Amino acid sequence: MLELVNVSHSYVARRQSFDHGVHHVLDDVSLQLMRGETLGIVGRNGAGKTTMLRLMAGIFSPSSGRVLRRPGASCALLSLGLGFQDGLSGRDNALLAAMLQGISRRNASARLEEIRAFSELGESFDEPVKTYSSGMRARLGFTTALLTDVDILLIDEVLSVGDAAFRDKAQAALKSRITGDQTVVFVSHAEGQVRSLCSRALWIEEGRVLAGGEVDEVLTAYRAGLVSRG
Amino acid sequence: MTLRHYLALVDTLARLSLKADASRYFLGYIWWLLEPLLYVLVFYVVFELILQNRQEDFLVFLMVGKLSFIWFAKSLNQASRSILGNRGLIGRVHVPKSLFPMASIQEGLYKQASVFLLLFTVLVSQGFGATLAWLWLLPVLLVNYLLIVACCLAGAWLVCVKYDFHVLVSMGVIFLMFTSGVFWDPRALPDPAMTDAVLLYNPLAFVIAAYRQVLMLGAAPDLLHLAAIGTGFALIAAALFWLLQRSSQYIALKVITA
Repeated sequence: MLELVNVSHSYVARRQSFDHGVHHVLDDVSLQLMRGETLGIVGRNGAGKTTMLRLMAGIFSPSSGRVLRRPGASCALLSLGLGFQDGLSGRDNALLAAMLQGISRRNASARLEEIRAFSELGESFDEPVKTYSSGMRARLGFTTALLTDVDILLIDEVLSVGDAAFRDKAQAALKSRITGDQTVVFVSHAEGQVRSLCSRALWIEEGRVLAGGEVDEVLTAYRAGLVSRG
Repeated sequence: MTLRHYLALVDTLARLSLKADASRYFLGYIWWLLEPLLYVLVFYVVFELILQNRQEDFLVFLMVGKLSFIWFAKSLNQASRSILGNRGLIGRVHVPKSLFPMASIQEGLYKQASVFLLLFTVLVSQGFGATLAWLWLLPVLLVNYLLIVACCLAGAWLVCVKYDFHVLVSMGVIFLMFTSGVFWDPRALPDPAMTDAVLLYNPLAFVIAAYRQVLMLGAAPDLLHLAAIGTGFALIAAALFWLLQRSSQYIALKVITA
């Protein structure tokens, strides 16, 4: 479904006027993702996890190497933070997000009530997103991505926020999708979620793959790495 | 992405942005008309009342120039920042980057429709009755739109590549306001060679003059000149669509890591 072949990624960023520094984010990363597989990615902050998801989603192109996606495969990246238009309501943002994922306006409109019900946002669904808490934003983002059909779902830390009840509900919903044909890449610091949802795991650190394979083995190596690196 | 879905997204982005924009103001959609009218009022006070301009029908002359210039200026200012302004969406989904400036242009188009309706009402009330010659407005509007699309796509791309262009775009708009015959008539310049130069080298001045020819004089504009400008900007716009599509991932990287 998706393959990264010797992918390296770096970019030039300005730190002050007339100054440019090269940031190396990923270094010679290769992996294969099969249809219906759920891959968990662990690593410390700044390890290159989000960049890897953006490369998988086609948002970035790698500095070297290749990202191969099955022709026609649709992809949605679900992440916290920016991505919503603050002045628009949750309903309008959900409509826009669904349309940006390639769904027609009519079909996107038809799914809005379902998104409202699952996200449990109630009347806030029609309020501007700028009034939302981070948990409410996460509910809206997660539900919009989950209820729109994409071939590859890339999830970046989204299940780590929100109240416990919604987290459980979201995890259960994701699990039911995973049992089908859904291909998922799941980035999380929550080892329990990776263990519960993923069939394979990858540990990346400073842009390099340090371990990959069985979830328990990778998580054990990751934990040991965290201890030894302080 | 199909063309149909692309156009639906442009339309949806524009409508939602207009809705969000209106909700920020107490007077909401009334600002669509009020803001351009206030601009006209400011210029009228300066040129007619303070500088004692004695040009005949100056208010109508000024409205035609200023209201068509505002369409260009606001579209360009907004569109050139539109890709950067949507960095949150760009970081989450791979979409054609031309979507964002095109949505800004569409937003300007919806606003301008009501502004032109107001302008036509004023023209008729001031004795400039609608005649068949007003049909020449259609090609003038089309060329004006193509000019806006080309400039907006160029502005959006340049501001993404180097944010410094944002300052130059703003300066360029001010320069064009003074040099495009918004509040003076290029055809009334004492030196005919200068009139020809202004209309030849500044397409915006030609388009504004063409609006006045059609609406105030009931005459056809120089169609050959109009067609040349239209063709030129259509080609530039097509090249910029290609450039934005081709550099889509480069733009995403520039925008996200800026």
